Amino acid sequence: MKSNDVLGVIFSNSCEDTLTELTAHRTTASVPIGGKYRMIDFVLSNMANSNVNNVGIIAKSGFMSLMDHIGSGSAWDLSKKRSGVTILPPYAGVNFANKVETLYQLRGYVEDAAENYVLLSESNVVFNIDYTELFYLHSVNEADITLVYKNMPVPEKLTPMTIKHDNIGKVEKVFIQPEVKGNCNLWLGSMLVSKKLFLELITKAMSENELDFNRLVQKWAEEHTVFAYECPGHCDIISSMNEYFRFNMSLMDANLRKELFQYDRPIYTKVRDDAPCKYGLTSSVKNSLVSQGCFIEGEVENCVISKGVHIKKGAKVSNCIIMQDTEIGENCNLSYLIIDKDVIIADEKSMMGADSFPIHIEKKSVIN
Amino acid sequence: MIPKQKVVAMVLAGGQGSRLGVLTKKLAKPAVPFGGKYRIIDFPLSNCVNSGIEAVGILTQYQPLVLNEYIGNGQPWDLDGMHSGVNCLSPYEAVSGADWYSGTANAIYQNISYIDRYNPDYVLILSGDHIYKMDYNEMLEYHKKNKAACTIAAIDVPKEEASRFGILNTNKDGSIYEFDEKPAHPKSTNASMGIYIFNWKELRKYLIDDANDPNSSNDFGKNVLPTMLEAGERMFAYPFEGYWKDVGTIDSLWEANMDLLDPNVGLDLNQVYSRNPMMPPHYIADGVKIQNSLIADGCNVQGDLEFSILFAGVTVGKGAVINSSIIMPGAVIEEGARVEFAIVAENAVIGKNAVVGADPENVKNRDDWGVTVIGDNLTIGENVVVPPKAMIDKNMEVEK
Repeated sequence: MKSNDVLGVIFSNSCEDTLTELTAHRTTASVPIGGKYRMIDFVLSNMANSNVNNVGIIAKSGFMSLMDHIGSGSAWDLSKKRSGVTILPPYAGVNFANKVETLYQLRGYVEDAAENYVLLSESNVVFNIDYTELFYLHSVNEADITLVYKNMPVPEKLTPMTIKHDNIGKVEKVFIQPEVKGNCNLWLGSMLVSKKLFLELITKAMSENELDFNRLVQKWAEEHTVFAYECPGHCDIISSMNEYFRFNMSLMDANLRKELFQYDRPIYTKVRDDAPCKYGLTSSVKNSLVSQGCFIEGEVENCVISKGVHIKKGAKVSNCIIMQDTEIGENCNLSYLIIDKDVIIADEKSMMGADSFPIHIEKKSVIN
Repeated sequence: MIPKQKVVAMVLAGGQGSRLGVLTKKLAKPAVPFGGKYRIIDFPLSNCVNSGIEAVGILTQYQPLVLNEYIGNGQPWDLDGMHSGVNCLSPYEAVSGADWYSGTANAIYQNISYIDRYNPDYVLILSGDHIYKMDYNEMLEYHKKNKAACTIAAIDVPKEEASRFGILNTNKDGSIYEFDEKPAHPKSTNASMGIYIFNWKELRKYLIDDANDPNSSNDFGKNVLPTMLEAGERMFAYPFEGYWKDVGTIDSLWEANMDLLDPNVGLDLNQVYSRNPMMPPHYIADGVKIQNSLIADGCNVQGDLEFSILFAGVTVGKGAVINSSIIMPGAVIEEGARVEFAIVAENAVIGKNAVVGADPENVKNRDDWGVTVIGDNLTIGENVVVPPKAMIDKNMEVEK
């Protein structure tokens, strides 16, 4: 099978209930991450880099920021004459109550696509892979369905689905929320299936009123030829505020950055014409990631700083994640905060979260 | 038929820029990297779109590959319209034969049909090697108000530098009565910025006459403008106030970059568009001192920086020191290396403990001092010392 014979379908609201404040006004897909990216950039870039040129993003609610981020899709080279990226919001009173119904309502979109395969994916997975190998193995195995998994610990707030497979990768059983100690073969919520079978399965599920997607996957694994494919390389699932904070901080590791942001498989994101970051005469920066468009005059330590942030003289900022265009006043003292977009913190303010409990400051807050 | 454009801009980008030495060995001057993430051509192109000019021709001749690739379809500057946008125009072969662009005026002459397609009222002629931000609309309003045939943007330069420029001597109303090309004893300090607005109908006529004159060197400054003045056309100098710099030499290129770090210089980078590197934010390690510098995405900084500019994807090793230097994309400064008052071109590698350039304070004879330049993709080996003012175009190793 060819890569460009695959339609990508991404759920934009993965784990949105457990990412609490971050997803109050936006989809999980559009949560800022890693300084200049949004969560969906990883899976979307992976698809684009693997020649999956037609991608639908399922949007359930609060998708203004997602639409703004994706735009025409040209930043991912997904704005083509014959294919591209489409945001799929609820329409004509149709309710996207659960995954099965959502996929059923979108069967027209899937049917009309020229591609013969469907690759479902979640938006809160951080990884950099070439899907070509998955496509190759799917056809070599003559699989009906291939599930993508990773041997890893269970994320904090995820209902885990684990996979037991034989030595050639054929799935023997899928477990829902089993008791897990240490690592398990965790399903990443991603599957490859032929369009024909996908439409059959979803239509059948609706007609039998089987609306629990996890249960369905478990059932399909019993009734069909289902294979498992382990995601090569680094993989993180962001299911909680804590994991979000840890992941951002883990990017200080040069090896991880090298693995996630590769020259020949770049992670793309919406482009903003920011100037290079400017460091003033009074700046002091240690162990931090800083994006373009920032102006740093204060002291920064162990921080991930997004585009257009201004940290004024005398401010001491440590262990914080600061999202775009936020302004930190003079002589502020901040630590263990997740400061959302467009926040203004006046001079001389002190605020502190804890390592185990980073405090989130809402978008557009003004702290006087 | 293409919808009419009121103004068409033509950017002269064909010159070799030989005074930039190794920096322009494989690329045209307008494609030389500038300011941490830009190329020089970004400035005139961004000025055009910010002034609402949507049809831009770029006249290329010398080493156009990098420039052509960089411009691409013009999307980063919003110059990818359905009926307008940016086009790179190189010399071509026609029924009458094939010619290189023999001068600035000839380059426009050979592209008369390109301009005619848009049926414009005005043509704006720009240089591809100047750093400045300007609203061409204001200049156009000035041109219209004066009912001029030609308006030339002029900037006030220091008296002692005036003899390096083309000087415009004007009457009180701003009309030009004399051109003085690099005068030994300048009468005024009104220097031409090489930015012209012409009424297209009139310019078209003068270009054809100029092309038919076998004695002409087909240059705007030397031929077309003096001819127009002699013929009694209304020509005006448009006074421009703001930052402007011709970056045609190593010193001026270095100075213009350093100006970005000087809060007293009125050059900001807002609304200057460019292609953006697809790289993660830059990383600053523990125990590093960074003062008054610009750093682009993708850099990994483990050494100290002072008054310097790092382009995208630069690596600075542990204990390295960079002072008053410009490090272009992908360059690597290895551990313990010292780079001072230097320009290091793309993907060059400065080996461990190598010393490149010097602080003028530490040079005995000031005449021996100058900005050091390392060409692209070169390797300067471990412990090599590259003296100030050197221009390096081949790999260097310590002699054994």
